[in-house]
Amino acid sequence: MIRRLEEFDNVDNFDCGDEPLNNYLKRHAWTNQQKSSIGVTYVAVEESAPRLVLGYFTLATSSVPRDLLPKKHVRGLPPYDLPLILLARLAVDHRFAGKGLGHALIAEVFKITLRVADEVGCRCIITDAYRDRVGWYAKYGFIPIEDTTKDRPRKMFLDVRTIRVALKSGSEQG
Amino acid sequence: MPAAVKEKAKNTVPSSKVRKSKFQADLAPSEDSIVRALKAELQMTSNTDFLSDALALFRWAVSERKRGHIIVSESATGERKILVFPRLERVAPEVALPNVDIHWNDKELESLAELASGQPAQPTKALVRAMRH
Repeated sequence: MIRRLEEFDNVDNFDCGDEPLNNYLKRHAWTNQQKSSIGVTYVAVEESAPRLVLGYFTLATSSVPRDLLPKKHVRGLPPYDLPLILLARLAVDHRFAGKGLGHALIAEVFKITLRVADEVGCRCIITDAYRDRVGWYAKYGFIPIEDTTKDRPRKMFLDVRTIRVALKSGSEQG
Repeated sequence: MPAAVKEKAKNTVPSSKVRKSKFQADLAPSEDSIVRALKAELQMTSNTDFLSDALALFRWAVSERKRGHIIVSESATGERKILVFPRLERVAPEVALPNVDIHWNDKELESLAELASGQPAQPTKALVRAMRH
């Protein structure tokens, strides 16, 4: 089951093998969600242990001002800022890795994105992927955004229209 | 009695003797008729069974809305109705997400604009599979 992070969820022993991702969940996720409102964290739990967090992701919205975009491309875009969803973090506890939890989490990201797109509008999902995880996101259709730096996470792009087509194809295939 | 003994005595109470909660409700005559009609329709005689089934159904509905799922009834002809029940909406996750600023450099902005203004890519198999769940 995937739901929003709650105050008394057990995150103390969460270990995805990456300290910044562990620390975010343990120290910042709840505060950011509840007090600062700078990201909403969703957690995967089992019904048998509904407080034990096995994996999580954090979402926020953002937008890119139209006047920052290069003129040669803005013709193909509506005359507004580009609204998007930021998939800020996604992690699975390494003890539960290989059980399809990452797939379940990213599937939930796509569903939330479509709901947001329906209700308030958004054009794409952007994620900051660790360089060694770029292949995993690419499997779901995320396209690396070109960059000149090689030493920080890679921004990746997924068009909401692509997700809509996937939803339609998925429904048709049953 | 020492506290430890008291605790032990408490733990040895047979499960059959565990006191069950009583639930009493004041129903308006119209609601009482609905309960009776439903019990008859569902061939139920006991109020306990009725409440237990109603509770299971309500629990399921709460858990679905809590996950952000909508509850839909679909007719044989495909006509769909969405259940909107104010109390359930209290547990539904808010769709609104907080807004943050992202730092973009020029190269990234150019690439983003090119991707966003072009035709969308076809979904991958993994994406289609994700949307089937």
